[in-house]
Amino acid sequence: MHRFGSAERSLHWLLAASFFTMLVTGLILYLPSLAQLAANRQLWKSIHLGAALAFWVGTFLILTSAPGGLGRTARELDHFDEDDRRWLAWSVTRRGEEPPQGRFNAGQKLNAALIAGLMVVFSISGTLMYLQETDASFRGTDAILVHDVAMYVAVPIVIGHMYLALVNPSTRHSLRGMLLGTVRRDWARRHHPKWEREL
Amino acid sequence: MRDIRMGRGVFLGVVGTGVAGLFVGSRLSKAAAPLGAVVPNALHSLVPDGWRIYSVNPPWPTFDPATYRLTIDGAVEKPLSLSWQDVMDLPQAAQTTDFHCVTGWTVGNVHWVGVRLSTLWEMAKPTAEAKFANFISMEQPYVDTLSMAQTTLPQVMLAHTLGKAPLSRAHGAPMRLIIPEMYGYKNVKWLHRIELVSQLEAGFWEQRGYDVDAWVGHSNGY
Repeated sequence: MHRFGSAERSLHWLLAASFFTMLVTGLILYLPSLAQLAANRQLWKSIHLGAALAFWVGTFLILTSAPGGLGRTARELDHFDEDDRRWLAWSVTRRGEEPPQGRFNAGQKLNAALIAGLMVVFSISGTLMYLQETDASFRGTDAILVHDVAMYVAVPIVIGHMYLALVNPSTRHSLRGMLLGTVRRDWARRHHPKWEREL
Repeated sequence: MRDIRMGRGVFLGVVGTGVAGLFVGSRLSKAAAPLGAVVPNALHSLVPDGWRIYSVNPPWPTFDPATYRLTIDGAVEKPLSLSWQDVMDLPQAAQTTDFHCVTGWTVGNVHWVGVRLSTLWEMAKPTAEAKFANFISMEQPYVDTLSMAQTTLPQVMLAHTLGKAPLSRAHGAPMRLIIPEMYGYKNVKWLHRIELVSQLEAGFWEQRGYDVDAWVGHSNGY
């Protein structure tokens, strides 16, 4: 059954590609041991900033060209119902039955909100870092520290996300939904029963 | 069942925390610094050591001990051209100081070994004309400058050893200027020439708006 539209999938993979480009180039800029392998700081900086720009331009294009926009998706991600809140508690305690979930479970909603917030934080602090490196009047904020902390928060979230999407046997079927758009009905019934019943 | 708009709450919370961090982050991290002491040493080696390597004209210069010369010229009675062995034969000094970058990061307790500039001045004998020293990097066109009085501050040195190891190419091999009282852009890497002059000449970053006297905590808008 159809789970993710083309705009949702495009946005996801645009984010994935630009995130990993920025992670790798960011680490090259940040870790001296890597910087020694790749001494051309200007080049890695350009790729890093280019990926950030590509992310925002691409996001703008996807949001404006998607038929009907992604407003419905955003509303789904925003709203946590009673079951979602119970699901969050269940995901920690693992006691009792899994509360039934819609097209997105509460963990996925939380992941989306956290990553979206972090992308904004990365962009604000990164813009300040770019400006303060070239113009003395932009200094005085802790942009580097914020950028670093955002990285330390984002990387474990992304690792957890990738574990569930690629490794964990009961959840990794969802990768097919993000690649092809569709998932098996029996899988949907088990993991997203409220959504499966609607369709 | 009542829905709550938790998604936007989390999103705005993250953005708000990030923006607040721009203004209070360093104060919070200083307050939390004692916690760093309880992190096991094994973990410390996994996290970045805090250095960020900046260069203005890559690739980085390479150091060849066979051909390297440290030149000291300009307003001196005795211009010097020292081989790497000559430099290593000079009296050596060691110190542990903090390194501050103007972009906001700091590496604490850095151990340096090197040569005091007063040692070099005794050999080259600056003339009465000499008011400023231009520290010229092998990385063209990087240069920065100190007043003669600043060059003999107690913790100023030409460092060739960082920690226990010879200065790496990334850190400015074979030798960089260290003046812990000033931000890193004054601490010229890949140093190969010192020219003494009578008039102040703007350094690389000074030409781009940075302060000539880059005192940590008292310059560049801090």
